Amino acid sequence: MIRDSLRVRLLGGAAVAILVALVLAGIGMAWLFQRHIELREAASLIRDGKLLAGALSLDAQERPVIDSLPTESRYAKAASGLYWQVTNSAGSAHSDSLWDQSLPRPRAADALEWRVEHVRGPFRESLLMVERLIEPAQGSSFVLIQVATSDSALRAAGREFNREMAASLCVLWFFLFAAAYLQVKLGLRPLALVKQHLEQLRRNPAARLPAVYPREIAPLADAINALADAREEDLQRARKRAGDLAHSLKTPLAALAAQTRRAREAGAENALRGVDRALGAIGATLETELARARAAAVRSVGTSHGADIGTLLENIISVVERTERGERIVFEVDIPTELRVPVAAEDLTELLGALVENAVRYAHRRVRISGAAQASASILRVEDDGPGIDQNRSEAVIVRGARLDEAGPGHGLGLAIVNDLVAITGGTIAFGRAGLGGLEVCLRWPASSESEEPVSRPFHWLMRR
Amino acid sequence: MRALVVEDDPDVGPDLVRALTEAGFVVDLTGDGVDAWQKGGVEDYALAVLDLGLPKLDGLSVLRRWRAEGRELPVLILSARGDWTEKVEGIQAGADDYLAKPFAMGELVARARGLVRRRAGLSSPLLEVGRLIIDTARMRVLVDQRPVRLSPLEYRFLDVLAHAPGRVLTAGDIAEQLHGTADAADANAIEALVLRLRRKIGSDIIETRRGFGYTLGGS
Repeated sequence: MIRDSLRVRLLGGAAVAILVALVLAGIGMAWLFQRHIELREAASLIRDGKLLAGALSLDAQERPVIDSLPTESRYAKAASGLYWQVTNSAGSAHSDSLWDQSLPRPRAADALEWRVEHVRGPFRESLLMVERLIEPAQGSSFVLIQVATSDSALRAAGREFNREMAASLCVLWFFLFAAAYLQVKLGLRPLALVKQHLEQLRRNPAARLPAVYPREIAPLADAINALADAREEDLQRARKRAGDLAHSLKTPLAALAAQTRRAREAGAENALRGVDRALGAIGATLETELARARAAAVRSVGTSHGADIGTLLENIISVVERTERGERIVFEVDIPTELRVPVAAEDLTELLGALVENAVRYAHRRVRISGAAQASASILRVEDDGPGIDQNRSEAVIVRGARLDEAGPGHGLGLAIVNDLVAITGGTIAFGRAGLGGLEVCLRWPASSESEEPVSRPFHWLMRR
Repeated sequence: MRALVVEDDPDVGPDLVRALTEAGFVVDLTGDGVDAWQKGGVEDYALAVLDLGLPKLDGLSVLRRWRAEGRELPVLILSARGDWTEKVEGIQAGADDYLAKPFAMGELVARARGLVRRRAGLSSPLLEVGRLIIDTARMRVLVDQRPVRLSPLEYRFLDVLAHAPGRVLTAGDIAEQLHGTADAADANAIEALVLRLRRKIGSDIIETRRGFGYTLGGS
């Protein structure tokens, strides 16, 4: 799972790092607290120790004697948890609280400064003890002064501190983790943006990723734009190749046709019939391949933004109405201005051109092109008032791309292009009976669920979701 | 009638010349765009057949220059590409018809004749009826001095009405003049044609007299 997700990786790392940091901090703080309270307690013990040192004297047998006892009541109570003791080689004196026990001897041989020790004391207590050696008078033997207190209270305080601190640190961990989560979310947001932009780029090959990404992603965006440039070049090249192919082959074909005409006039009729047939076949194959190449160059499932379908249709009609058949036809155009279909303008021209030409071929008087922009779909309809088509045979119109009573090169290949273009762009074709009486060809594209915004509009990555 | 053939292919060119000569034209042949432009600008041709892939100056540029200079001769363009984008481009540049290679010569001759016939079948140069001026030489109409681009059929419809000023023509009459026949479908077609025309030139140029027919308003 770590491998699949940046988010998990980042958050996981954050969680562990914060945990480790807080645990270390907790341990450190616990230790500091313990030391602090022990030092305070030790300071208090040392104060009493100094009092003892001040009141210390030696009796006739060189035994230590305390002239004025510390007043703390706990020194008087047995096993109270607070003890003092003074010792030298001759003897010792101690607080009543020690009763008949004594404090343990120091580990080190000499301690001319106050030292703090943890020792096991009488009454099965653990003690915090301060001790030092002092010389009560010049030349006399050293006296060891020890003051100790039970550390159970200290430990209890330490435990309570630890408990509360642990709880606080847990809460802190949650807050820090939440902050890390927000940070990761903000940090990864440009990637979600890239995904959105890429989706729009996929649909419209002329678009590029805008330059709105953070520095770290910019090289990636640049690489993608370069890829898109290469793709567009490929598309242009494919289109140009189709055009070049046309020029290089069709003119010689026309020349060959001219040759056969000349030869026919010179009387070589039979042979030339065969040549004509062959020429026809070559021409038809060429048309098919060119149509396929054109359809294959349609990788752009672009919205026809900018291309007003109505204007496109008027252009097509202006071509068709000048032909022999077209000039007898009355055209009706009923396209809502907001209608958009997911076909690029160039390809839509080919598609509608083929359909209108076909309609004109069969129409008696009228051809109607209409459209509808519904919530669920975009629809285009081409109708004629000609003989129409038998419903059973409508399949053949798509498969062979020809009306069944047809002959001759070039016919119906236009409809093969229509089929290819509609299929590639995700639409469907349906045939039916037109209101005008003839054939109705209905093209339908389901509405896109993606946003229609062109990619080139700059938007601030912080503002967008 | 004189025709200009502009085609640089050494086989197709002469073949076109021969076919058009047989059809009754007196044909001039040229193989490059600059020469074509000059000839078309100077001489008076009833028709030009123009290939788009030419040396020195391409066919569309020749056509655009002719139109810019006011040369209104009918032009049939030939091209190898055959896609609709190029067809539209050609018509927008001012061509009157388009034929893709390879074509049957019979088809080309028929279209050439058609172009000339359409241009010739119209009478006096300028007809003025109310706000409408019909320019038969250019197959164009002016509404309030503003030129409007019409299809040949629309143009002939107005021409028919303009030649019967003050009279109301039924849909059947009009269809008869436009198509040579008049059946029920034609009447509906005429209605649709009127609708389309009204969108282009305004709704008060053609008046409908309910139950009778159509007439030109203001006549």
